[in-house]
Amino acid sequence: MPVVNVDPDELRRLTGHDEKSDEAFKEDLFALGLEFEGETEDGQLQLEFGPDRLDRLSVEGVARSLRYQYGDDRGVYVPNTNDPDWTVVVDDSVPDERPYVTGAVIRGVDLDDDALDSLIQLQEKLHATMGRKRAKGAIGIHDLTMLKGAGYGDDGGNSVTYRGVDPEGDRFVPLDADREMTPADVLESHPTGETYAPLVDEYDRYPAIYDELGLFSFPPVINGRRTEVSTDSRELFVELTGTDQWTIDRMCNVICYALDARGATVEEVTVEYPDERLVRPNFEVDEKTVAHERIEGMLGVDLDVEEAVDLFERSGLDADPEADGETVTYEVSIPPYRTDVLHPLDLIDDVGRAYGFNDLDPSYPDVSTVGGRHERSVHESAVRTSLVGLGFEDLLNFHMISEAENYDRMGIGPGTDVVGGGAPVTITEPYSEDYTMLRTWALPSLLMVLENNTHRAYPQDLAEVGLAAAADDGENTGVAERRTVAGAVARHDATYEDAKSRLAALCHDFDADLATPATTHPTFIDGRAADVVIDGETVGVIGEVHPRVLVEHDLELPVAAFEFRLDALA
Amino acid sequence: MRLPESQVAVLEAASATEQRTIEQVSEATGLKPETVTGAAFDLEDAGLIEVSERTDASTELTDEGHRYHEAELPEVSLHRAALDGAGGDDPGVDIGRAVAKSELGDRANIALSNYERSGYGTVSNGVVVPDEVDPGADEVTAALAAVADGDTPGDDLLDLLERRDLVVRQERTVRSVTLTDEGVTALMEGVEAAETVDRLTPELLTSDEWQDVEFADYNVEADAPERRGGKVHILRQTAERVKDTLVGMGFREMDGPHADSEFWINDCLFMPQDHPARTHWDQFALDVPPMGEIPADLLDRVRSAHLAGVGDDGQGYHSPWTEEVARGVDLRGHTTSLSMRYLSGHEIGDLEPPERFFSVEKVYRNDTLDPTHLLEFFQIEGWVMAENLSVRDLMGTFEEFYAQFGITDLRFKPHYNPYTEPSFELFGEHPETGDLIEIGNSGMFREEVLRPLGVECDVMAWGLALERLLMLMYGFDDIRDVHGTLCDLDLLRNTEVLH
Repeated sequence: MPVVNVDPDELRRLTGHDEKSDEAFKEDLFALGLEFEGETEDGQLQLEFGPDRLDRLSVEGVARSLRYQYGDDRGVYVPNTNDPDWTVVVDDSVPDERPYVTGAVIRGVDLDDDALDSLIQLQEKLHATMGRKRAKGAIGIHDLTMLKGAGYGDDGGNSVTYRGVDPEGDRFVPLDADREMTPADVLESHPTGETYAPLVDEYDRYPAIYDELGLFSFPPVINGRRTEVSTDSRELFVELTGTDQWTIDRMCNVICYALDARGATVEEVTVEYPDERLVRPNFEVDEKTVAHERIEGMLGVDLDVEEAVDLFERSGLDADPEADGETVTYEVSIPPYRTDVLHPLDLIDDVGRAYGFNDLDPSYPDVSTVGGRHERSVHESAVRTSLVGLGFEDLLNFHMISEAENYDRMGIGPGTDVVGGGAPVTITEPYSEDYTMLRTWALPSLLMVLENNTHRAYPQDLAEVGLAAAADDGENTGVAERRTVAGAVARHDATYEDAKSRLAALCHDFDADLATPATTHPTFIDGRAADVVIDGETVGVIGEVHPRVLVEHDLELPVAAFEFRLDALA
Repeated sequence: MRLPESQVAVLEAASATEQRTIEQVSEATGLKPETVTGAAFDLEDAGLIEVSERTDASTELTDEGHRYHEAELPEVSLHRAALDGAGGDDPGVDIGRAVAKSELGDRANIALSNYERSGYGTVSNGVVVPDEVDPGADEVTAALAAVADGDTPGDDLLDLLERRDLVVRQERTVRSVTLTDEGVTALMEGVEAAETVDRLTPELLTSDEWQDVEFADYNVEADAPERRGGKVHILRQTAERVKDTLVGMGFREMDGPHADSEFWINDCLFMPQDHPARTHWDQFALDVPPMGEIPADLLDRVRSAHLAGVGDDGQGYHSPWTEEVARGVDLRGHTTSLSMRYLSGHEIGDLEPPERFFSVEKVYRNDTLDPTHLLEFFQIEGWVMAENLSVRDLMGTFEEFYAQFGITDLRFKPHYNPYTEPSFELFGEHPETGDLIEIGNSGMFREEVLRPLGVECDVMAWGLALERLLMLMYGFDDIRDVHGTLCDLDLLRNTEVLH
């Protein structure tokens, strides 16, 4: 979940609430869904929240939410914007994979160190969340005064061009570098370039933005050094590129609102696609209809219309009530920095936060149902209880395992016709070599536990009732899942008989008819292994574990073991 | 009168007129002295004999003393050899020859060092010169004999024997028994032996002999050998307890596949296909063919919810959605896949509200392994389906559930999940430390989740890691000791049973 670092002094200043202590802020923020996680070294509050309200990814946004909650601000706020002077021309050469661009001009910013840090944090957090690590949307912020716009239109407007560039085409000096590089050089040898190279290195042409002087931005990878923003910057050019227009427009809005809160003025830009002209940022206000009854039903409380409107307004929304007989509905206006409102219910959630969910009285629902266990889990428990009664320690092991543990160390091979020899269900991109597949049987897990507990007292009689799986094209999931019962008796005088007597007792408990005709299985000693045949069906194997397998597991005493399908005891 | 066999023997061996020591009684009865002592005290308790004590100083031969008493002192042997060897012109005998002749071996040094002191002659320059002294009249030999006979030699000689470690002097308590008048009367009236037995045997029971036997006392305070029975795994025990609690609250248990399509795991949950959770949770994708069978109408409705939203005012995600992704098979990252299967009606048929369902089943997440995170863990999942549920109902249900585990004073932090709205993270007070701790995630399923599934009423749901509950209840700090092949058998064996 996103974490935003917020300077409490900045928060006091931006909310206008000098009297609020850090503790008071923490309480108020908890009610809004921002959880205090800790403090940074320089005393900033680390706040964690769900990735819905991305407008809160900066101290300015957090302060705005608090001012609404306190009732200092009400209703939808939309900043005034100046008419466009700059145009972003989208050239035909723009890579098809990243066709969209948007932007804004910001004038009259006053960036001290804190404000600049906050802006950089906001940019990074937006990249990490909505921007999907820059794949879906990437932000570049530039010092406008360092740009030289190409003349555009009749009235002296300026323009930059979003276009494609050959990887080895034009050269520029990227941020954090001191020499000119081609885009390909950047991907190859610049640290930031290396990080983001996977986003573009398959493209024939790379995305780039040019002004009159040449390439100044290489989205989504890095900006040019020429237009780098500093605390001296007073006018900014914000550009965003990506794979979805709506997404980058909303990211742009979040940035514009944060800078507006610092007293800057937002100026529109024109985006000139070959077949369409947009004016951005898009501060259009959405509307949704919410029924009063639904609010009351969801919160479980009665509300006056005035109360409901107040709660909407303290959520930064406007609500226009309309009565139709007994029924009241609200036309709710939603500000353009909101990225999370997909349905009227999302607005009811806002009303609940403003009301204070923790002020609601919990009530046990007056709904009567009959409970019960699933027969599979009841059966599993019963078998487990029997095993424990026979003296087995009940175990619970992982379903994921490695090929080495599942097959090699047990002396069997995948895809062979023995118990445990099923075809593996493998994990596509395993992170750990210890967990690369689903276990085809449970005995390897028991032997691993024995191996890890040789320093513990014997006898060690272990059993597990759990999941095993093998690849099976006949299944809808491609995976045949089954429950398996495994038992191992490890003691200095363990013999086949020890395993057989316990297995027989277990079968007896479940009125199952057991036979053990001789078989061969590489995990067990020849002549001391048998098929487990229950009610006439071969369902498993039993025997004395082969010394080769014991030694492989560093065991210095004999182990007799069995494993069979749980459903045989049904 | 019936008495244990040993007591009868002691009673009969005792005299009314003469004190008899335990040793004497032991000799007379053939019982071990400790048995006699035990019986004597029991008889004294019964008033049949009197036990008196005196402290005896006694002197006993050491093993070495015994050997010399039975054979001969080394210096005496040496003296005999020297007397034999000397004679004529030669008054002395070479030490080597004398030692060899006397067959002293490694006792030669003892013989030589006591030779002169015993007045048998002189030893110098490798030659033993014996005086004409009778080796048969050795006073140390006589003193050893006296000690052996229980007599006391003179103090000087006794000191000498003690210095040579040939005797030990010690004090000991000597107990003696005398018959009391009651004892005499009892004997005259007749005393029968009752048998003392160690084990109660089937023969004793079936023959009725148990009525005539005394059971030997055991040391009932002594430690018994350690014994270990099997035990249901503590995480399973915790799961059973959760299941019992939920069944008691009217919930029915769900069951379903661990390997499932992303459609059931994520798409039904209205998780956009490019949602960070679908990459960041890093579920385990499986190398198996795409899921073949997904109900076509459901697939269409879910796709539509993602792309266009649900309801007149709804809107979808600005994210790509493909069937190819939906059909990919993963290990489930949450058991909400089961909830989707049940709610859709494809698992056990269409459901009519009200319904309550739960599961306590394994889920798989590609997390970093640490003391509180495993790649596989158990998720408690529960939901309630009914007309007109409010968040107050949700809060009331959770208060009831968590109170069963000692967790009270719940707080609800508004939260965001793609599949619920409103959503809450649940916080509660730790039963031991009182700290505010996160104990679950919850919410009302979104209409974008429910409507494609064909559910027209409200459904509230919550989830919680079972391991978290276990660690709270047992105070474990490393889950790896409990769950998985690195488990510590001692920990599993020795953990207290909670009930």
